Amino acid sequence: MNAPVRLPAAVEGRLAALGEVDILVGIPSFNNARTIGHVVRAAAAGLAKHFPGARAAIVNSDGGSRDGTAEVVAGAEFSPATILVAHPLSPVHKIVTPYDGIPGKGSALRSIFAIAERLKARACAVVDSDLRSITPEWIELLVGPVLHQEFDFVAPMYLRHKYDGTITNSIVYPLTRALYGREVRQPIGGDFGFSGRIASHYLKQPVWESNVARFGIDIWMTTTAVAGGFRVCQSFLGAKIHDAKDPGADLAGMFVQVVSSVFDLMNTYRERWPQVQGAESVPLFGFPHGVGLEPVPVNTERMLGVFRQAARDLREIWQRALDEPTLAELDAIAAGPAAGFRFPDRLWVRLVYDFATAYHRRVMAADQLLGSMVPLYLGRTASFVLQTADSGPDEVEVAIRNLADEFVAQKPHLLQRWSQGR
Amino acid sequence: MWQFLGDVIQKTLAGFGERLVAFGPNLLAMAAILLGGVLAAGAVRLVFRFLLPRLGFDRFAQRLGLTLVLQKGGITQPASQAAATLLAWGVLAVFVLLAIGALNLEFAMDLVSRAFSYLPQVLIAMALLALGALVSAFVRRSVLVAAVNAGLPSARLLAGGAQTALMILFTAMALEHLGVGRQILLVSFTILFGGVVLALSLAFGLGGRHLAREFLERLVRPASAPEDDNLRHL
Repeated sequence: MNAPVRLPAAVEGRLAALGEVDILVGIPSFNNARTIGHVVRAAAAGLAKHFPGARAAIVNSDGGSRDGTAEVVAGAEFSPATILVAHPLSPVHKIVTPYDGIPGKGSALRSIFAIAERLKARACAVVDSDLRSITPEWIELLVGPVLHQEFDFVAPMYLRHKYDGTITNSIVYPLTRALYGREVRQPIGGDFGFSGRIASHYLKQPVWESNVARFGIDIWMTTTAVAGGFRVCQSFLGAKIHDAKDPGADLAGMFVQVVSSVFDLMNTYRERWPQVQGAESVPLFGFPHGVGLEPVPVNTERMLGVFRQAARDLREIWQRALDEPTLAELDAIAAGPAAGFRFPDRLWVRLVYDFATAYHRRVMAADQLLGSMVPLYLGRTASFVLQTADSGPDEVEVAIRNLADEFVAQKPHLLQRWSQGR
Repeated sequence: MWQFLGDVIQKTLAGFGERLVAFGPNLLAMAAILLGGVLAAGAVRLVFRFLLPRLGFDRFAQRLGLTLVLQKGGITQPASQAAATLLAWGVLAVFVLLAIGALNLEFAMDLVSRAFSYLPQVLIAMALLALGALVSAFVRRSVLVAAVNAGLPSARLLAGGAQTALMILFTAMALEHLGVGRQILLVSFTILFGGVVLALSLAFGLGGRHLAREFLERLVRPASAPEDDNLRHL
């Protein structure tokens, strides 16, 4: 049983005064004063342009920013004249609230779900607060399928640089596709549309003290929607460009939170995914087009250095999850030259499945097990970067698709390991 | 003269015979208890060697890192067998004490009484050592993984250092509990620990002053993204 979400008295007062809304746009934030103004204006413009008669609210769920994020949200004004609408516009209400619980995006979204339920919102969207590429059309593409087509969950689809979203491309997308049989290309995209019905469902789940309250929220929302039998679609949003990334962001912590959430969900839905075979597409809204993307510099030498050191130092941990032939293959590729370094798809898929099984069997503390997987991920990413150095977006997409098919092909190995053990 | 000698020998033998008759049952009891102890220890060993693996003890020990600790200590047999052997020796030790007690001699009774009053201290010390082995192995793995992910070349050294420091701490606590050379132990630990910290400070300050400056600068100045890597993983 979850404790009710606590909101400040002033916010409770605003909600009581508002009554009900048709659409709610949520924006989680933490020290995003530099970019959140643009996101709020884009959301307000999208609501005014595409849903002019709807009662709408924008909710900023903030993690205690000290850079004036709340003031920027309160002061972000949008002029209807800029979007040339002739309809009478309903005012868009803005609510700024600090969230309760473990610091993280998941807790921020939990407050947004609670407010959506309180305001009986029919359709909701959440968008990241550090987006530089968001346009008013994103709101239509995320909310429209829910409001007009009765979908419960709208996953984003973006144009991203070939080296952007490597955890998504190498683990989360192909694994989710193989497990649950639905083609959701950006399951941890961060910007989603969803119905009031599924928001209430999310709110009831007892997950808010886990990694779901942090970086695990995105994959949890997507998997819950896909595996829970909700109506799911995708919307093409164009390019996804963030503010410059936080250099202090801890890759290992982020990796552990996301991957442990994926593996925890395998346990939650252990009755469902073994029955699934193959993968099918879901409806796609929007108009896919190409755009120029900012280059992403990558230091493969550093990645390979970490991978090689791990091959020497972390063997005692890896052998709790991997068998001897897999370890021997890792040794062989770690000992090879940097030029032409390759981490084969087959090996990568096998070890992801073996780590998932080891995690399921709790062979050791989750942080240690998944932390030891980070160098393997870096090795795989370095290989991907080297392999696709001269490839265009379409070729890269084919490579990612091939990896996803390898996950499907090796699913019997996962089933065998999961049910029988080594 | 010869009669006198004969009387003395006779009295001596008679006295020995009387004492032997009086003490014989105690000796027999001691032998019986020892035999019983050997049999009980053997039985305990057999039963636990059979039961522990079936109860998943080896997997449990592996998860806790106990197997690795045993391997490092040169014990290559499975943790369940090592535990069964340890239990058997414990049982035998108790029977040996009981057997000595059966002699009913003053010094033996005193020894048994002191041994049994000391037993709780020994058990607590053993528990502290076992806990130390588990905690230090856990910390070693955490430090190793974190150091490798941070790209530190001396990851194993750091991890081993953390484990050793913790094991020293737990061993000191166990010996302190046993009351073994308290003052010597305290002084040795203080000198050793202080020496290590001083050595590290000097090494860091002299050998790595540029590194120290960079480290301090990073602490007080806002970080900026490295220009050669701007990968977004999610």
